[in-house]
Amino acid sequence: MKKLIVLVMALLIVSSLTACTKKVEKTLVIFQNKVEINDVLTTYATAWGLANDVTVEVKTCGGDSCAYGTQILAEFQAERQPDIFVIEGMGGYNVYDEKIMEFGTDAWISNTDLEFKVEGKVFGFPVAVEGWGMAYNKTILDAAGVDIEALKDVSQAEYKEAFDKIQAYYDANGMADYAVVSMAAASGMYWVTGLHNFNGYLSAGLEYSDNSVITDLNNGIVDEERLAQLADWFELLKTYGDQAVLTTGTYDDQVGKFADGKAAFLHQGNWTDSSYAASDFEMGYLPHATMATGNDSIFIGAPSYYVINKDSEMTDVAKAFLEDLAATTAGHDYMVNQAHMVPAFNSVTLVPSTPLSASVMAWNQSGKAYAWWQNDMPSGFGMDTLGPVYELFAKGTTTKAEFIAQIKAAIEGLK
Amino acid sequence: MNIGLRKINFGVISVVMFIISPFIALIALIAKLFKVDIHNLDPLKKRGPYSSYLVSKWLGNSGSAQHNRTFSIFLMPSLATFSLFVIYTFINGVYLSMTNWNGLNTGHELFVGLSNYVSMFNDYGFVYSLYKTILYSLLNIFAINIVAFFLAMLVTQNLKLKNLYRAGFFLPNLIGGLVLGYIWQFIFNRAVTSLGGSFATSLLVSGDTALLGLIIVVTWQYAGYIMMIYIAALQNVPQDLIEASKIDGANAYQRLRTIIMPLVAQAFTVSMFLTLVTSFKQYDTVMSLTNGGPGTLLPQWIASLFGLSALPAVSSNNLIALNIYQEAFSRYQLGVGQAKAIVFFIFLLSVSLLQVYYNKRKEVEL
Repeated sequence: MKKLIVLVMALLIVSSLTACTKKVEKTLVIFQNKVEINDVLTTYATAWGLANDVTVEVKTCGGDSCAYGTQILAEFQAERQPDIFVIEGMGGYNVYDEKIMEFGTDAWISNTDLEFKVEGKVFGFPVAVEGWGMAYNKTILDAAGVDIEALKDVSQAEYKEAFDKIQAYYDANGMADYAVVSMAAASGMYWVTGLHNFNGYLSAGLEYSDNSVITDLNNGIVDEERLAQLADWFELLKTYGDQAVLTTGTYDDQVGKFADGKAAFLHQGNWTDSSYAASDFEMGYLPHATMATGNDSIFIGAPSYYVINKDSEMTDVAKAFLEDLAATTAGHDYMVNQAHMVPAFNSVTLVPSTPLSASVMAWNQSGKAYAWWQNDMPSGFGMDTLGPVYELFAKGTTTKAEFIAQIKAAIEGLK
Repeated sequence: MNIGLRKINFGVISVVMFIISPFIALIALIAKLFKVDIHNLDPLKKRGPYSSYLVSKWLGNSGSAQHNRTFSIFLMPSLATFSLFVIYTFINGVYLSMTNWNGLNTGHELFVGLSNYVSMFNDYGFVYSLYKTILYSLLNIFAINIVAFFLAMLVTQNLKLKNLYRAGFFLPNLIGGLVLGYIWQFIFNRAVTSLGGSFATSLLVSGDTALLGLIIVVTWQYAGYIMMIYIAALQNVPQDLIEASKIDGANAYQRLRTIIMPLVAQAFTVSMFLTLVTSFKQYDTVMSLTNGGPGTLLPQWIASLFGLSALPAVSSNNLIALNIYQEAFSRYQLGVGQAKAIVFFIFLLSVSLLQVYYNKRKEVEL
């Protein structure tokens, strides 16, 4: 017994000694919010750390069980602050601007159009991109005789012509439960109308960095010409949309209609990719025709950004980590094949295995992107204020003139 | 009457103790510091009126003083938690309702006085929510109580399997409001519409009928629970009174009107109160059923109150609890949301007090 105690004591002393003598290693702490990529990011980061002689620790907080915005405040109070953390655009920047370091002239910046900039200075590294446009079912479009290539620079008149062709094809073949457009405007789907569709008013036909319309909107100034074109476009969508999905449909109804191959077009983004495992048709994106003519891009943006903690002692390592993510094949493999994200970088040659993500990446790399400004509107404006306006027009309660007048009044109310 | 008086007495005593007890404890502590044993003060010694009250009722070694001291010490733990979680929170809430708090500027929010309260009533959406909530609550109280009373009458008759019916009617109440909303959304939007004809359009599509849909769902859910209260009351109606009335030749309607109704009036008070409060606070079912929607046009009379020439679009089932949530957590105006919550609290408090007062007057005691 006594021997055992001595042995245990000896072991304890030895182990504590080794713990003391262990040299203090450099550790890079990444605090991120995507639960689903935690494992693959940890694997990638560990491998990168081995190659670069640092320990990389990935901390994850997100999903339903962890509020990232609250937890990050706690992390900043801790002795070991995260070196890289995540913001979701301007809102997050305004909260943490004292903690965020400017990137300067890192190489990855010239490799993307989606870096997070404030007043011309780069602060955020795009984690991934997402995009939406008119997702199309190639089988139906081919059968109806619609030329997909011709719709890549498209006017509202050309869309109307295509929609008519598809409707004629349905009528000729007795496909009564098929829809031309799967579009939802009911009260649970206000994000599709009030944010995604309305974003066309804010960015369609403009340069990617042109924020003139959103700035005007926030000052209560209406661009009546753009608004009238938006109303024409939404009228076209609702006229050719499946009425049940339009007025009462949920997300599952809307995406399900397209996934079942019963809709030629879908007004949704590439996050719907997970619904197409059983779909046996080719698909891709075409632009929204928010403007009457000359629509040649889809709406692409980065929903979140990696930023570097200004107070970190590891800023060089953090910069190197992000640079390698954007520039190396291992980084590309992690983003595309492991994490199933669409990278924001033009040098990536790997293609996502899911169809709509692949299409978003192709549009992005060819530089055909309209910006996301919908999140720069005042909080709640898109969904709570514009959502019902869209719904009433979709149901036919209001006319197009009333729709325009209501949106105009809502924007003028922002003064 | 006697009972009422005693209740008041007890209430007054609790409130006095509530206020006094911390001070007594403090005095005892300070006295300890000065080595005065206040618990041995002689209650019979001649003193001024205030100190003799203090010694005989609180500080001395008389029975009632000891009793009061024990009472106040035992009150402390609950008093502390009550103050922390109710009183402090409420006062802080009132303060925050007068600031421009948005959740991020905690600690350096600006005091803006009553401007949140003013802005709330300049917002046609809030006035519409208030109007819609009152309308919904009135209709809902009637619907639930009538259905529940009818069901209770039904299952207190001599029926075979009446316990099964009771359980069946009660069962929807065990399903959570959120789940129920989604189930009924499917029923209204997909099942009922497949009947075609005049059912082809879902109730939830139009802003005029969506409220009816909500009332159907909530009545279906809540009537079984209220039914239980009525059953208990109906079973307490003495059978001899019923029999006597039968002998006197009263018909079923007369019995209901003059004997059963007055005798179950207490159950009406409770049920009306419960339905009133739950109707006003309705959140989960309306959230999942239509998400506050569908969109509708603001009624003309509200628009003319605000001098709007064109009718704006509003969410038709945007009841007040939902409106407060959106103000606070989707527009990040937590100060305004808090102000709305305070107004809602005062409104609901006064309405329910009025309701209980009027219902109480109808009660009879045997």
